[in-house]
Amino acid sequence: MSSRVARAALVAAALACNGGLQPTPAPPSISGIVTYRGAAPDSTQAVYVVAYQTFPHTRDSLFTFQPPVPQPLPLGVATAAYRIPVEPGRYEWVLAVWVKQGFTLANADSTLRETGYYRDPADTSQPGVVDVLTQPATSIDFVIDFGHMHPPCRYYTPPCP
Amino acid sequence: MPVKLPAATALLLVARTLGAQTAIVYGTVRNVATGVGVANANVFVPGTALKTPSGTDGRYLLRNVPAGQVEIRAVVVGYPPAVRTVLVAAGDSVEVDFDLRGLPAAVDDLQAFTTEPLIVTAAKHSQLLAQAVTSVALVSDTDLARRAVSTVDEAVNRAPGVLFLAGQVNIRGSSGFVEGLGSRVLLLVDGVPANQGDRGGIDWDMVPLAEVAHVEVLKGAGSSLYGSAALGGVVNVITRETPLGFHARIRATGGAYANPPFDVWRFRGGVGALGGLDATASYGQGAVRGSLTLGGRHSDGYREQDRSDQWEMSGKAEWLPQPGTRVTTSGAWTSHQYEVFPTWCVPVPPGTRACDTRGQAFQPFLIDSSGAGSYTRSNKGYLSATLDRTVSSRFSWEARGSWLRTHFTDVNPDDWAVSNRFGGEVRGVSRSPSGRVVTAGVEVARGDVTSDIFGDHTQNQVGMYGEAEGLLGGARVTAGTRIDYLDADSSQATAVLSPRVGAVLTSRIGTWRASAGRGFRAPTLAERFVNTRALGFQVIPNPALHPETAWSFEVGNAAPIASWARLDAALFWTEARQLIEPTFLVDAGGVAKIQIQNVSRARLRGLDASLVVTPFPSLTGTIAYLFLDARDLANDSVLAFRPKQLLTLSVDYRWRMFSVGGDFRYSSRIERIELEPVFGGDPRVAAKVLDLRASWQRGALAARLLVANALNYIYNLVPRTLEPVRTASVVLTWTY
Repeated sequence: MSSRVARAALVAAALACNGGLQPTPAPPSISGIVTYRGAAPDSTQAVYVVAYQTFPHTRDSLFTFQPPVPQPLPLGVATAAYRIPVEPGRYEWVLAVWVKQGFTLANADSTLRETGYYRDPADTSQPGVVDVLTQPATSIDFVIDFGHMHPPCRYYTPPCP
Repeated sequence: MPVKLPAATALLLVARTLGAQTAIVYGTVRNVATGVGVANANVFVPGTALKTPSGTDGRYLLRNVPAGQVEIRAVVVGYPPAVRTVLVAAGDSVEVDFDLRGLPAAVDDLQAFTTEPLIVTAAKHSQLLAQAVTSVALVSDTDLARRAVSTVDEAVNRAPGVLFLAGQVNIRGSSGFVEGLGSRVLLLVDGVPANQGDRGGIDWDMVPLAEVAHVEVLKGAGSSLYGSAALGGVVNVITRETPLGFHARIRATGGAYANPPFDVWRFRGGVGALGGLDATASYGQGAVRGSLTLGGRHSDGYREQDRSDQWEMSGKAEWLPQPGTRVTTSGAWTSHQYEVFPTWCVPVPPGTRACDTRGQAFQPFLIDSSGAGSYTRSNKGYLSATLDRTVSSRFSWEARGSWLRTHFTDVNPDDWAVSNRFGGEVRGVSRSPSGRVVTAGVEVARGDVTSDIFGDHTQNQVGMYGEAEGLLGGARVTAGTRIDYLDADSSQATAVLSPRVGAVLTSRIGTWRASAGRGFRAPTLAERFVNTRALGFQVIPNPALHPETAWSFEVGNAAPIASWARLDAALFWTEARQLIEPTFLVDAGGVAKIQIQNVSRARLRGLDASLVVTPFPSLTGTIAYLFLDARDLANDSVLAFRPKQLLTLSVDYRWRMFSVGGDFRYSSRIERIELEPVFGGDPRVAAKVLDLRASWQRGALAARLLVANALNYIYNLVPRTLEPVRTASVVLTWTY
């Protein structure tokens, strides 16, 4: 009888003390450091880092990036850390987007520019693929070069002239 | 037969004693080799019929002792007789301890259990606990020993109604958490104020625990006698009396911290260790006594960047040139170097440095790398000298001077400050044959600081106080006030009045106490003049800060509910005004800054209750519960950093030379914190902490085992700061 009571007391104590802080996986995200090259044009509205699960080869897929509402990067500095929340998955393109003042959805082709992207470490001419499956992707570092910005249609199939 | 003094009996005793120009003499008869009380000693006044046996814990109480110079003897089989001569005033209660040399006659003498200490100094003169008009919690020498803790704050942390938030003491939710600045609790060491001269906080490591006899925790506003900082209560650390003859004690501590309970939180390959060694020697002969304590401690810490090393020394000298006169000098010095755990690691936000989250939302054992290499060297110490003089059976006075110095150097960020606090006080206590006791005095203090973040500044304070106690019908009534004049850098002085009234009444359903008093806290030099950066914001000075004030009301009852149980419960209500808090503001240029301002109005009210049971002489238990309703009236919200409920359960069982026990502490989840936009997304949980202990004692040797936070419950009370994990430690003590 007394051992039952003791066991029950131990179980009660263990239950009572349950619920402390537990490890919590961070929400899926892509993070890293961007390094600026050149000066941002005077007409700059903002620069964002976004990610595509599927490379946007058409204009219809241009706005399928994540996060849906990106946060602007700080400008006027040499480097900046970034972190963007994304859904778990495989991302074919992680890039920085330059946005010109006066941007609207209708004039996106003329007011948006790719200004740098994460590159495949094995073949730096190609975009790097980023997996965000069991944990956040970190150290996704790349260069933002304001001297080499490209319109979105450059990556369409077929590309613009 | 143990000496027990129910509250009602005590009151009647005192009333009768006061009227008859007699006094109470009480104390403990101890075996100096073991420190354990000696039972059944015959304590008597030669040539009179006054005699009493000591209880199973060695305590005794003699009533109706005639005022004047009195010789008291303690005699028990197996020990040589002990004699003490004391001068007692009419209506006074005087502690006289006897330290006996020799071996106890039987092991059963070790079966001491704790009865509540009877005497407190809450009113700046010794009085029975039942006479105190506000609640007083006591941490006895037995509590200190059996908890096997290393610092004073660890011992006080389990007292009813007391909760520490990252080292900052809260009595009934008084202070909250303000990063160590401006404690709303006053620390006294033998009655001498010991809060820092610049920041107003408390260095709990300044007094070696080996020197502490017991601790009194006075709850509610105590400014009517103690002045600034006693807004929410007073912690009075009473150091040990120096016994006659040569005595020594060596205490060695060793232990280990548990690793994190989850692999993803592990931060080191091995186990963190802690250890310490301290030695005390004392000698007393005739009119001169002295003691010296030296010690050191090391801890690897329980998280990353958490190592600490500490060296400490303290000493005390007493000279009794004639009966009724005592000169005491004491001092302590501590050098503490410790790594600083800035905040725990969270996923990197844009624009900050990276930290190793290992894919977790937070890493409580790992630091944010921006704080890598942070550490603090903190040197602190005090000197005090006191002259006590009992002039006659009706009048006694005391004069004291003190010097407190602190010097800290922070590395990353690099800050430093040197501060001094000089204090002096003259106090007289008058007792009339009618039972009236009048206490009056003058207290002065001067603080200064030289610092890169606080600047060079001084602050002066002069306080005059008086309080009278007397019998009015069946009640013992207390009324008094204190007025303080404060200035900083010789600016225009501010006057603060702190009155208090209270009464104690014995009835069939226990002893009632009621009080109403005003407390205040002067802004510290750091709060007025701090100029630094914190959390990425500029912190700007505010020399125009006013004192914060509070009215505290309390009604309580202490009653034996059985021969083996005693209940003490109090309802309290505090209305605070002009609380000094960090505030965000936007300057003319649109830049957000932090300034410490008088902003908040707050209300703290609730129930503070404790039940002490002793069903058998070998078994004791305590249940303490605090319900706190703390509101920020300015924002109509819960006051930050105040848990609503605090529950402490304690049990101790003693069998022959062995004892086992434990504490369970529950504090409810803190509902609101400051800087919610920054830290509000962090997880917060209720605290549920189980401490277990066991001890063995034989002759001059004692061994104690403490397992703190035995269930390795992982929690935090302030943002991104982890509370200690499971820590097992063994304390070995040898006493000569």
